[in-house]
Amino acid sequence: MFRKPKGRAEDRLGIPQGTLYLLILTIVRREPSHGYGIAQRLQSLTDGAFQINPGSLFPALYALERDGMLRSVERASDNNRRARYYELTPRGRKRLEQEEQRWERVTNAIANVLRST
Amino acid sequence: MTFLYRLRAFVRWLVRRDEIERALDSDLEDYVARSTEAKIRDGMAPAAARRAALIELGGVEQAKTRVRETLSFQPLDSLVRDTRYAFRTMRRQKTFTALAVLCLALGIGANTTIFSFMDSVLFRALPVDRPAELVILQWTANRPTESVPWAMPGRGDVVAVESRLRSDNWPYPVLELFEGRRELFTEVFGSQPVSQLRIDLGDGPTGDGLYVTGNFFRSLGVGARAGRLLAEDDDRFEAPPVVVLSSVFGVARYGSAEAAVGQTIRLNDVAFTVIGVAPPAFFRLDPERRPSFYLPMRSGPLLVAAGPRLTLPGGPSRFAAALVGSTLEMYQDPEFYWVSAWARLRPGVSREQVQAALRSPFERFFADNLRNQASLPNPPRLEAASGTAGRDGMRRNYGETLFVLFAMVVVILTVACASIASLLLERATARRREMAVRMSLGAGRLSVIRQLLTESVLLALIGGGAGVVLSIAGTRALAPLLAAGTDGALFRAELNWPVLGLTLGVTLLTGVLFGLAPAIHATRVAVFSALKGSRSAPDADTPKGRHRVAFGQMLVVAQIALSLVLLIGASLFAATLTNLRTTELGFNQEGLLLANVDTTRAGYDAVAVKSFYGTLRERLRQVPGIDSASLSWSVLAGGSAYIRSVTIPGTSTQATDINTQVIGHSFFETMQIEILAGRSIGDWEVDAGEPVAVVDRSFAETFFSGADPIGRTIDVQDEGQLRIVGVSANARHDMIRGDARPAVYYTYTWDPHPLYNMVVLRAQGDPLNYAEPLRTIVRDLSPDARVNSIRTQAANTDRTISREILFARLSNAFALLALVIACAGLYGTVSYAMARQTPETGIRMALGATRSLVLRRALRQVLGLGVAGLAIGMPAALVASRYIESFLWGVTAHDPVILAGAAFAVLAAVAAAGYAPASRASKVDPMAALRSE
Repeated sequence: MFRKPKGRAEDRLGIPQGTLYLLILTIVRREPSHGYGIAQRLQSLTDGAFQINPGSLFPALYALERDGMLRSVERASDNNRRARYYELTPRGRKRLEQEEQRWERVTNAIANVLRST
Repeated sequence: MTFLYRLRAFVRWLVRRDEIERALDSDLEDYVARSTEAKIRDGMAPAAARRAALIELGGVEQAKTRVRETLSFQPLDSLVRDTRYAFRTMRRQKTFTALAVLCLALGIGANTTIFSFMDSVLFRALPVDRPAELVILQWTANRPTESVPWAMPGRGDVVAVESRLRSDNWPYPVLELFEGRRELFTEVFGSQPVSQLRIDLGDGPTGDGLYVTGNFFRSLGVGARAGRLLAEDDDRFEAPPVVVLSSVFGVARYGSAEAAVGQTIRLNDVAFTVIGVAPPAFFRLDPERRPSFYLPMRSGPLLVAAGPRLTLPGGPSRFAAALVGSTLEMYQDPEFYWVSAWARLRPGVSREQVQAALRSPFERFFADNLRNQASLPNPPRLEAASGTAGRDGMRRNYGETLFVLFAMVVVILTVACASIASLLLERATARRREMAVRMSLGAGRLSVIRQLLTESVLLALIGGGAGVVLSIAGTRALAPLLAAGTDGALFRAELNWPVLGLTLGVTLLTGVLFGLAPAIHATRVAVFSALKGSRSAPDADTPKGRHRVAFGQMLVVAQIALSLVLLIGASLFAATLTNLRTTELGFNQEGLLLANVDTTRAGYDAVAVKSFYGTLRERLRQVPGIDSASLSWSVLAGGSAYIRSVTIPGTSTQATDINTQVIGHSFFETMQIEILAGRSIGDWEVDAGEPVAVVDRSFAETFFSGADPIGRTIDVQDEGQLRIVGVSANARHDMIRGDARPAVYYTYTWDPHPLYNMVVLRAQGDPLNYAEPLRTIVRDLSPDARVNSIRTQAANTDRTISREILFARLSNAFALLALVIACAGLYGTVSYAMARQTPETGIRMALGATRSLVLRRALRQVLGLGVAGLAIGMPAALVASRYIESFLWGVTAHDPVILAGAAFAVLAAVAAAGYAPASRASKVDPMAALRSE
């Protein structure tokens, strides 16, 4: 399911393949957020290492919503502007947990290999 | 699971696209606005901030497009694209598409039509209530021999079945005997056809009818289309004359079924009241006879008496009284076999039980009532046959016909599939380059295959659709076409949906399979060499490549072989038909005109009858163009004959199965029947009404073996003693097939009577031209005389072999179909083979080969395939034709002329189909061919 959005390569550091969805879901889990908010959060959490432009972000968001992982809701935001907020669905939550576990296994394995030499 | 989500999202997107687009717009706008704000807070100028934010976005439209792509349902999207591409491709390859669709349409459509037709006409189960319960009661007996003469005088059809003869006619008292067996049958009913009833007054047309017992319609469970049907009460001698019309006749005459009820119609000058119309699907019990009228069984005497003219001027005619009397006697005569007996089985009773229960009682009845004890050793044996399909079941072995028919359908189907496969294989190879280009540009192998599958399915759908349309249209159009030339009755054929489904399924499956298989293979091809444009298959040298080439050729050879088999079969049927038409009729049937001339209403006595026909003949002979005129009592080779028994006084010889033919002046001359010994009956003897006779050779040989029959006396049942004056050649009196009975000819003036007599004219040119002169002369001679049923002898004979005509025509259609389809496939395969050899051809031409040399070489290859096909097809045909031996007449299954002719025709077709691609190959430019290497 964690397939790269078709076509575009990621920019700057290049978000590792297949992890964009994981990152988005994690961010949204903390609190529901609109598109700009997600992008800002990602940038601040990674100290600028990962940046994503909306041309890649929105397709990802719409894809996650299509697959039933996210749900979008229009809300009045701060400063009274209406925006679309994305929040995690139970299905998305479950999937996120699965992928977190898998990610941890993978990184541990790689770390072991790297340490052994 | 994800699939479902995706599908739901797709549907939502389809339905609420505007909403989603607006949401997307606002999302993006919102993003840009926030980004701009942030940049302004960082210190940028508002305009610059917005521009920067937009640049970050990277193009609104691209973003939107990518979102749309995400939301759209990938498979459907690509399906739409593939379909459009498939259409474009098909439009480009017009020839191929046309040929493929043709093969599909013909294989499905024409095949189904022809099969439906034969199925409907030949063996549809009766459209009556619970046909499985019906039985026909029949008997079989050994053929009469000298010591055991035939015991069953009477009309009706007797068919040869293996070594015995079979018939379904019974004496009327036996019908009553069956009726008494309530424990076996819930209903017993009977029928008897009657032909050529005169309709209306005047020289009107005639129609056929069916006598039925009162419970006929009830037993069959058939309901009336209008009015009511015959009931028991109508079937009494004293009952008022009523008739039920067939749907076709009623509507044709009165405009609608309802309008017919209550009308009066004159049949043989007797007024009948129409009480109802039979339902349209209710054809008949015997597919050969399509009665226009259903009459009560006991109305026979009425019709025979030809109306109330029982008393003629000069006193009651002994003949007329005798005729009616003997007709009444028919209902009591235990030795006159004429009624067909049907029954409906009681539930739980089987046909074997019926046979076991009825055999002995019938044998006892037969023995008790036998007048000529000499027949006792050969009693008829009762049998109960299934009546599900009607009386026709007696005539033909259903299993055989169905098998032959089905075999033809399967063969055509195979040929069609092979053709389609050939064409597709050829196409696939030719498009290798295209596929290689696509793959090198990044298309996945799967997507190329998917696209080819779409093409195949699309082609299959178009071809299949065409096939279905052709089936439906063909079933409607074929009926009148095939009925032309026979007695003109309308066949109604129903489309046979199971066969349509079968042909549709098989051909479509083939199309898809063969569209796909080469695609899968071709996408494995080395891209590089394919891109180079080399037309020769680089894998032709690999074992796999060789296999594919061989497979293609095998297909073609198989098609040719099958076409040959069909063509031989069709030719055999056609030959049978020709033989039936030109068979030793014993007389010359061309140029003969027949007409019924009926003088009953004129009230002539014997002298007047003689004078009338005598004068008629004189006047006819004076008409320019008429060579001679005569008359007879029944039509030769007409399907029915008058059978009587003949004894030779002074001996114990009795023959019970003799054709008796009443003739007029110069009969043998008119019919061109050869006189072998003695002389024919002279004009003076006819005038004088002398009791003389001519016998045919069969009679002379059978009863006088060796001795000279001339001068001897014979005694003809009901006619008296006659002296033989001559021996004629054998002529067909009854059906063309089957054995000929011996015949005796004597003059009509010996016992003249005013019933219709058949006038025969031998004329030059088209006999029908003399119809008007005939009518005029008759009207002139007597205003009360009627002329009807004018037809040529040839047409009349054709009527008796209408089924053979049908069979021959249809099987010819099958064979032609196979050949056309095979040639279409051949065209494809040969094109492929030629294309494959282009570089080689180029080299040859560069080295000096002329165009004609190349052409000849190509044609040799084509013919090589043809010969291979013949080599396989011929033995197969020899085996197969043995199965149809029972349908043939006058031609053996292995007739060398037919075999050779068919082989030649197939070879010619092959050469013709292969010529175009071969000549294309020969026009190759050697430089272009070499360059592509």
